[in-house]
Amino acid sequence: MANIISNLNKAFDSRIRLGIMSVLMVNDSVDFNTMKELLELTDGNLASHIRALEGLNYIQSLKQFIGRKPNTQYSITETGRIAFQDHLNALEKLIQ
Amino acid sequence: MEKQLEDIKAIREMMEKSSKFLSLSGFSGILAGVTATVGAAFAWLYLLRNPEATNFNRMQEITILLADAILVLFLSVSFALYFSWKKAKKNNMKLINKTTLKTIYNLGIPLLAGGIFSVICLWRGDVEIVASTTLIFYGLGLINASKYTFEEIHYLGITEVILGIGAAIFLSHGIIFWTIGFGICHIVYGAILYKKYDLK
Repeated sequence: MANIISNLNKAFDSRIRLGIMSVLMVNDSVDFNTMKELLELTDGNLASHIRALEGLNYIQSLKQFIGRKPNTQYSITETGRIAFQDHLNALEKLIQ
Repeated sequence: MEKQLEDIKAIREMMEKSSKFLSLSGFSGILAGVTATVGAAFAWLYLLRNPEATNFNRMQEITILLADAILVLFLSVSFALYFSWKKAKKNNMKLINKTTLKTIYNLGIPLLAGGIFSVICLWRGDVEIVASTTLIFYGLGLINASKYTFEEIHYLGITEVILGIGAAIFLSHGIIFWTIGFGICHIVYGAILYKKYDLK
């Protein structure tokens, strides 16, 4: 049992990070505001969790301009996809 | 254990919510079905049942049928927009987002092609086949769009295509197939969606 629990990724302990990863697993890319609405968060709250996931190289950002408005698109990295998949597998094993 | 189960539920919900158009209102489906049934009943009672009873020529008949169909379409789309907007608001979502646009785009292509094709049929005086073409193209549009919304829409699409083929085989009974497809099917599937998703 202890072994299985150790497979759970500490980075995904927070429900918000779990949400961000879930959204990016099924969407090629999502911008900041859409993410904010989906997860029903404030700017600051979302930004801090995004920074954490970026720091782990689980997600990447692409800054661009739409007209004159800055727009940041987030997408999952290969590392992030594997890490999240492992986490999902560990979760599934635990509830079996 | 409890937390892990909750986590998995949250993951699944967030994946669905972010990739599918879930604001589609089942109730608007019921209303669209009722509108289509009334429109078909009007066409049947007023024109098709006994063509000799009215003094319209072929072109006038086609114009009246087209106006009837456009009115039904306009009302149905209005209901869909209004009630989906209300549902989105209730769920704290925006009606227009990436998945809504994807759904509309994927439904729109077969629908536009079918619409133009049907108008060409009408214009050539081939009125009977139009029940079939509208059903088939609409069904294909639904199947195409169903990837981005509720899975029930996929089966509604298949039902419409089958009815459309039926309408082509039994050409003189097209109005019956049309009424089942656009009327009764919308009421039935609308009620299923309403019960399964709207009431939550």
